[in-house]
Amino acid sequence: MHKFEGIAVSPGVAVGEALVMGNEGFRIPRRFVTRDSVEYELERLDKAIKDASAEIARSRDAVLKEMGEKYAAIFEAHLQMLQDARFRSDIEEMIAQRHYSPEYAVSRKVRECAQIFQKVQSRNLGDIFDIEKQLLRKLLGRRREELSKLRSPVLILAHNLTPSETAHLDRRFVRGFATEVGGPGSHTAIVAAGMAIPAVVGTGIFLTEVSGGDLVIIDGDKGLVILRPDEETIAHYRHEAKEHRHLAARLEMLRDLPAETSDGVRIELLGNIEFPYEVDDCVARGADGVGLYRTEFLYLGQEQEPDEEDHFQAYLRVIQTMGDRPVTIRTFDLGADKVPHLPEPEDERNPALGLRSIRLSLRNLPMFRKQLRAILRASVQGDVRIMFPLISTLLELRQAKMILTDVMEDLTEHKIPLNAKVPVGMMVEVPSVVMMIDHFVEEVDFLSIGTNDLIQYTLAVDRNNKEVVWLYNASEPAVLKLIELTIRSAARKAVPVNLCGQMSGSPTYTMLLLGMGLRQLGVPPSVIPEIKKICRSVTIDQCEEVARHALTLEHARDVTSYLRGELKKRVPELGP
Amino acid sequence: MDQRKQTRTVTVANHAGLHARAALLIAKLAREHDVALAVVKDSQGAEASSMIQMLSLGAKQGDEIVLEASGPRAEEALNALERLFAEKFYEEDEDAESRG
Repeated sequence: MHKFEGIAVSPGVAVGEALVMGNEGFRIPRRFVTRDSVEYELERLDKAIKDASAEIARSRDAVLKEMGEKYAAIFEAHLQMLQDARFRSDIEEMIAQRHYSPEYAVSRKVRECAQIFQKVQSRNLGDIFDIEKQLLRKLLGRRREELSKLRSPVLILAHNLTPSETAHLDRRFVRGFATEVGGPGSHTAIVAAGMAIPAVVGTGIFLTEVSGGDLVIIDGDKGLVILRPDEETIAHYRHEAKEHRHLAARLEMLRDLPAETSDGVRIELLGNIEFPYEVDDCVARGADGVGLYRTEFLYLGQEQEPDEEDHFQAYLRVIQTMGDRPVTIRTFDLGADKVPHLPEPEDERNPALGLRSIRLSLRNLPMFRKQLRAILRASVQGDVRIMFPLISTLLELRQAKMILTDVMEDLTEHKIPLNAKVPVGMMVEVPSVVMMIDHFVEEVDFLSIGTNDLIQYTLAVDRNNKEVVWLYNASEPAVLKLIELTIRSAARKAVPVNLCGQMSGSPTYTMLLLGMGLRQLGVPPSVIPEIKKICRSVTIDQCEEVARHALTLEHARDVTSYLRGELKKRVPELGP
Repeated sequence: MDQRKQTRTVTVANHAGLHARAALLIAKLAREHDVALAVVKDSQGAEASSMIQMLSLGAKQGDEIVLEASGPRAEEALNALERLFAEKFYEEDEDAESRG
């Protein structure tokens, strides 16, 4: 049994079969074969080795002719590895004695070799994985299953997960994520939270020790990934998983009840979504609206820029599903590096501080206007609101609004209907905005505090850098003060304000946020039941007392333990 | 014990160490001289005919290793191998290049 510690980014526990994402996301279909089929499976292995060897020999000869011995040598080396007698006999033994499938046996043997190579820091580590890939390709042939065609529940283990990889997962069968790198704000964290499955990131290297099909455990509460768990551990976690399911069922019963404090104050719980289909989750969980409709998916993993119709259809889907409930659409919030059709800026050494989001939109007016046109056209279909991300100065906000007005005039001239009074707001995520918040509240219809980035910029910490991620903490008094300043200023001008970072979906902070004056929270739909339960279990007076005390504390960890204590007091089943 | 087994101690001199390409050359020499060759580093042995075993040694530049050859042409083989090691497996001297 081997336990790896990482950062817990999505709660819950999962016990199940691992799907190890290799370079091409190969999936090992099964672990065992029947005794009767051993002969047949050994033949399959033999054929796979022969076929792979023949192919490598052909490549070697071709390269030898064209580029010389030096370059052909690596193919020869691959061939030698493939033909290695011990390598082969160990795999055959696993099939014959332990009834492993050839795919699983190859994978196990390769992992074993890889571990040794890694330990001695061999520069040929990549080659052994290449061999694995080639053998698996021969063994699996056309039956190579893609991630979009999963057939049974799996826990996905990878070095990292990119948006385009997760975009095509068959979500019905994914039960958890674990990645070697990443931090609390990483894409894996967001997707896992959205799917309400456990996730652990930043564990460091562990993929060499696990094969597809292995039984693994992901503990998203403690931040652990457990390989080859012993019987006792498996039993413990299966029990935990059951407890979680029971709690979820109990919370499910709150679905049609309002998120109202026990002294009758209504709290609006809005869903944060990344993809249009998530709006169905919002409806299923009884969300009061969509507080953050992230639109980046339209650009990710695509070769070309989406056209106006692509935008419009995506917005329509969500708006129509929400009916008369509000939908806040946020304009493009990525860097140029994620958008294939834009040239990469030369100086982007600090992408978080670079040409991204509203800055990129203002630099790329045709792209920006396209998105605004689509949002405006959609604005007559429901209660639509527009939000600008990463605003850092008043000038930026005014420029963005000017472009919007211009696009509105353009549409009106062409007699295209739109809501001329569409509410326009912005994210509060750069500290400079909070310093000028009294000015900003005069120019927006609403504000949304984006704590994910606000924490980064305030504490000057990269949430994906595991050396400093311990500094990234929503409980930092400085962050709380910025949130408080924003809420107070907005209240003076009766400007609605919500909070839409991961903080608002965390039960630990609900009482604090309500106590500071928030009456709207933007959360992943999966946590709506929990947050609702907390709202229904407290009074505003209690929350205000909690906030008052929390804001006197000097250390983040004191804040966190105080808040957890209060949560446990009022809502024991959700407490730590 | 095979009385025709002979040993020689050599040093890994090339920058990349005993990687795949070097292992290939060693294996080739052994085959050409028709000897069974074992490569030993710190009492861990590898058969020259097994690429994986050779790579598992993880022999790096500066490591001392012992070559054990058995067969009628053992001595000849070891001489050739000694030369191969001394010539750094005919690899470009990466250190010199970077200094240039």
